[in-house]
Amino acid sequence: MNVVLRVPAYLGIGLVWVYRATFGALFPTTCKYHPSCSEYAVQALKAHGLLRGGVMAGWRLLRCNPWSEGGYDPVR
Amino acid sequence: MSHLALIVASNPLTPLEHAARHVLNWLHFTIGLPWAWSIVALTVIVRILLVPLTVRQIHSMQNLQRFAPQMKEIQKKYKADKQRQNQELMKFYKENHINPAASCLPMLAQLPVFLALYYSLRHFSHEPASKHPGSLSFLHFVPSIAAHTTTHWGGYVLLAVYVLSQLASSYYMSASVDKAQRTLLMVMPVVFVFFIARFPAGLVLYWVTTNLWTVGQGLITRRLMPRPAAPEKRTSRTPPRDEGDGGGNGATPEPSGRPPAQPARNQPPRRVRRKKKAGRR
Repeated sequence: MNVVLRVPAYLGIGLVWVYRATFGALFPTTCKYHPSCSEYAVQALKAHGLLRGGVMAGWRLLRCNPWSEGGYDPVR
Repeated sequence: MSHLALIVASNPLTPLEHAARHVLNWLHFTIGLPWAWSIVALTVIVRILLVPLTVRQIHSMQNLQRFAPQMKEIQKKYKADKQRQNQELMKFYKENHINPAASCLPMLAQLPVFLALYYSLRHFSHEPASKHPGSLSFLHFVPSIAAHTTTHWGGYVLLAVYVLSQLASSYYMSASVDKAQRTLLMVMPVVFVFFIARFPAGLVLYWVTTNLWTVGQGLITRRLMPRPAAPEKRTSRTPPRDEGDGGGNGATPEPSGRPPAQPARNQPPRRVRRKKKAGRR
């Protein structure tokens, strides 16, 4: 059951990997946060599932803008 | 309404694709640009909208270059532990109020536009010609922007221009001081040519335009905003120089009457590192 519940999160992680292999490589930028946005997304999805992890990843992306400070920001 | 909801559910990019198509149609039918130039104009519009973001990025990139020597030192110090290295770098950014150039949002802002263009150009190539009257050629050497890039020799020219423009734009936009990463940035466009060759030529045209815009922006900002002078600020990582007994600090001026200090005899001779290339004949 536990594994079944985790499937949506792994779908999300798969999407992150697709992004990394395609656009992440095409538009290379180094993220201003550590861990980087995509790594943060993977960790958040693993820890909190698709819904909450997805929202957390989205919020992180919004914070990763030219006006923010950046820095060390792990998944909590 | 339900039809619209179904479209959105099946492909969340459909509204964006329609928007891209609307702007393209407007540029073609109302302004009167040929299709290829409509793509160029659409790209320029997107980039103009992104100017406030990029100006800020360039500012912080220059800041980053200013502190590059110190950051290199940190990278050297924590060479073995990448995690620690990143954390120390982030700390350094915070201490010196550096806002690193790279941030994910401006880059991602381009992504939906790119995808929308991709889909609309793909549909474009499947439509009957009556739906998009007018010439599809670009500067007489690409016969159709809706066809795959490799269907005509002109496409290969466009691909070559793409590689050059991508190299130039990554040269201007890469803020990284990491040599390996820079090398990767330079190799990537050459690798990606094989994927891009299967795209419609119009998409490559979009890419070339956006790259050239980046290069132009880089050139202009370099001229308008000269690199600021090296920082004087000290961080917690660089210990203050020992000024108590004047112990061999080369920066302190010698009194004019004294002869210059002789190098100590009992020290091992100074090693001079030569570059590898210099030794080869």
